[in-house]
Amino acid sequence: MGKVRRLVLDVLKPLEPTIIELAEQLSVLPGVEAVNISIYEIDRRVENAKITIEGGDLHYDEVERVIQENGGTVHSIDEVVAGKIIIDDSATPQDPYQG
Amino acid sequence: MEYHIRRLREYGELANIGEIARRYFAMNAFDGVLTIIGVLMGNYSAHVHSASTVIVTGLSTCVAMGISGLWGAYLTESAERKRDLAELESHTLTDLSQTKIGQASRAAVVVVALVDGFAPFLAALVVLSPFFFTALWTDITISYYIALGLALVSLFALGAFLGKISRQSLIVSGVKMIGAGLMAILASYLLRVAGV
Repeated sequence: MGKVRRLVLDVLKPLEPTIIELAEQLSVLPGVEAVNISIYEIDRRVENAKITIEGGDLHYDEVERVIQENGGTVHSIDEVVAGKIIIDDSATPQDPYQG
Repeated sequence: MEYHIRRLREYGELANIGEIARRYFAMNAFDGVLTIIGVLMGNYSAHVHSASTVIVTGLSTCVAMGISGLWGAYLTESAERKRDLAELESHTLTDLSQTKIGQASRAAVVVVALVDGFAPFLAALVVLSPFFFTALWTDITISYYIALGLALVSLFALGAFLGKISRQSLIVSGVKMIGAGLMAILASYLLRVAGV
């Protein structure tokens, strides 16, 4: 089986625990080298976060477990990179104009 | 053990247990001391000279306050926390009962109930304690005076504790609390003088 090296998730989570605590917990999972969490929407009780995780061998079910333990839900898996190295998506003529 | 302490600390931050426990501790210890002052002044006014009678009435009061605190806080806090969790679940659209948030909520209920039960029980027991040693000084009036003195000292300590939390003068906060105790003693004394 190939190794997952990057995951980008769209997560809805309550305001507490904070993204600092969530990032700390995700970063110590086996196979994880780095975690990036950014908030793109926030309201009175919940916030929407983009969680990017990179590492040598990521296990999605472990990541999902930690997110759920902290009250979050994975709304979608927006990007995944698997294999020996990390690559970004290729540009195609159909891509929306990025300016 | 370290894991459990870390977990409890995590729950404490999530559910804001520290602030609520401090509040309930101060409020209920205050209730406990003032209630036992009432019981002792009642016994004194009724010319109760038997230490065992005072101990029995005092202990019954301590236990009743403890049960009232424990039960009342358990039901109240439980209802409030469930309501809070349900409200949050309406935003996340998931069941949060098995998450750290749900667990922190349940831990908060237990901690608050224990604090609410033990605070008045222990505070009142401290004030009642001289009566257990009445045999040492034989005169029960001395026990009454020591107990009331202990009550005022406890109130001062409670006031100082609140003053420390609110970063105000410990002495001023302590004296404010003593004022309540003195009012309770005075009111009971006036009832006795009025022949009630």
